[in-house]
Amino acid sequence: MARKVTTGRKIGTTIFAWFVGLVIFFPILWTFLTSFKTELQAISIPPVFVGFDWTLENYRTIQTQSNYFHFMANSIYLSLGSTALGLIFAIPAAWAMAFSPTRRTKDVLLWMLSTKMLPAVGVLIPIYLLFVRFGLLDSRLGLIVVLFLINLPILVWMLYTYFKEIPGEILEAARMDGASLSKEITQVLAPMAVPGIASTVLLNVILSWNEAFWTLNLTTSNAAPLTAFIASFSSPQGNFYAKLSAASMLAIAPILIVGWFSQKQLVRGLTFGAVK
Amino acid sequence: MANVQAGVPPTEKALEAERAGARPRSDLSRQRLRSAWLFLAPMLLVLALVAGWPLLKTIWFSLTNASLSNLEGADFVGLRNYWEYVDYGDGEGEYFGLLFDPQWWNAVWNTVYYSVISVAIETVLGLVFALVLNAEFKGRAFVRAAVLIPWAIPTIVSAKMWAWMMNDQFGILNDMLMAIGIISSPIAWTADPDTAMWAVIIVDVWKTTPFMALLILAGLQMVPGDVYEAAKIDGIHPVKVFFKVTLPLIRPAILVAVIFRALDALRVFDLIYVLTPNNTQTKSMSVFAQENLFQFDKFAYGSAASTLLFLVIAFITLFYIKVARLDLGGRGS
Repeated sequence: MARKVTTGRKIGTTIFAWFVGLVIFFPILWTFLTSFKTELQAISIPPVFVGFDWTLENYRTIQTQSNYFHFMANSIYLSLGSTALGLIFAIPAAWAMAFSPTRRTKDVLLWMLSTKMLPAVGVLIPIYLLFVRFGLLDSRLGLIVVLFLINLPILVWMLYTYFKEIPGEILEAARMDGASLSKEITQVLAPMAVPGIASTVLLNVILSWNEAFWTLNLTTSNAAPLTAFIASFSSPQGNFYAKLSAASMLAIAPILIVGWFSQKQLVRGLTFGAVK
Repeated sequence: MANVQAGVPPTEKALEAERAGARPRSDLSRQRLRSAWLFLAPMLLVLALVAGWPLLKTIWFSLTNASLSNLEGADFVGLRNYWEYVDYGDGEGEYFGLLFDPQWWNAVWNTVYYSVISVAIETVLGLVFALVLNAEFKGRAFVRAAVLIPWAIPTIVSAKMWAWMMNDQFGILNDMLMAIGIISSPIAWTADPDTAMWAVIIVDVWKTTPFMALLILAGLQMVPGDVYEAAKIDGIHPVKVFFKVTLPLIRPAILVAVIFRALDALRVFDLIYVLTPNNTQTKSMSVFAQENLFQFDKFAYGSAASTLLFLVIAFITLFYIKVARLDLGGRGS
């Protein structure tokens, strides 16, 4: 009897989980389907699910109209560049806070959180003025710096949480054995910190990839990434839903592929601060 | 920031050692501490620049009569953008400024309403998802990946996807709801004043619940299995186990997830801007600030709104951390 109940519950859980998964996935599936329709089929009433003439026309039009690969290259540059720059600053800082905590550590962490209280629109003009003065408008370098600054608090916070999990005794032991500071870092800490760093990198790349506000306001064409590419498909007068869907799919495809293959690291990365 | 860098407070460890009567290993530990501050300094400096300078500049603008065409030559006007009493004579007068602007308070109300409702729904749903994803079932890896995707998609894309699905004429949402019989005629989800806010909340819940679920799931996986075994042997009802054992154990995970989520929700901009443009019912504080800054040519006024927005969020955050007794402390705390 008891066994039956458990099996019943198991089936219930499975069905529920799959149902939830499908509901959540549906908008993406729908966009995917729409991207293969003609504009006329896209707005047909009632909507058709699969029984339409699949066409690659939208994707072809997009590639000829606007150079997709140009935007994609920029997205890659910006997300990798800002992440690399971020690591250079965040690793030492997180390391210091995790292994030499002071009474001020808490204040520093809190203060870092305060940068998340600033509305982006509120500081756009000061940043914009800086960009004009240094000739950084529509340059990859300028955007890399901005994205790096935006995500720095999260980077430090995440790395700090990971580093904190590394047992201090190991460091003590290394110190007892007379390891120098540089040896302590390169030979003891680094190997243990790599998984945490990998997750942090992954999360940061996605955050930079998705950033739209700054990339839209500080670029025109030269340094514009995929978020700007999507925004350019929102002509207010025309209802080009099929093309918009195709553009959306193109913009999220890299993320979907990378995310799929690195789920575990991503989930780990997302748990920053939550787990002790 | 100077006070953080100035003076090098001793580490907890050194203090403990001192209390225990041992002499601190002076040279080596001092050297380590010095290098620790050295490591921290670049990050603090960079952050002070990025957080401090623009904020100060924005606060300054809010105290002037700056406009987009005249930023550098603006004059100081005191608190007039926040609060101004205009005397008409004969004891008649009127208050002006942000603090007396009904549109601003409407934006404050919208933002708080949106934040509280969406974060509450996301937390509860996230908890349910996390519990489901924590159980064993066929195809768990696949479902977990599917659930993760909405979070990884840029807001600008998901807002457009949903705007398309919620379209009153061609949208699939109306079509499906009518097929099931929940509604009898198409609803203009994003345009109708009654539903616009809920449209925004629905999209936000769709996008962010996975984030919450994963954070909470991480907390769940930290709960040792023998806790459940013990409860099972003692014959305690699963519901009671959940409320008395599981929930207290994952509380820290939930609290941190909520604060990060709330900080984003209170600053919401792009979702509302793309999904329900020019809708009074959904205008958030950030959208209000953006309009004044760039569209209405009331730059100083918009700066004042940004400054107030910062203060409101800072106040809410500090209050939350105090009430939730959030643990941000260092090692071992």
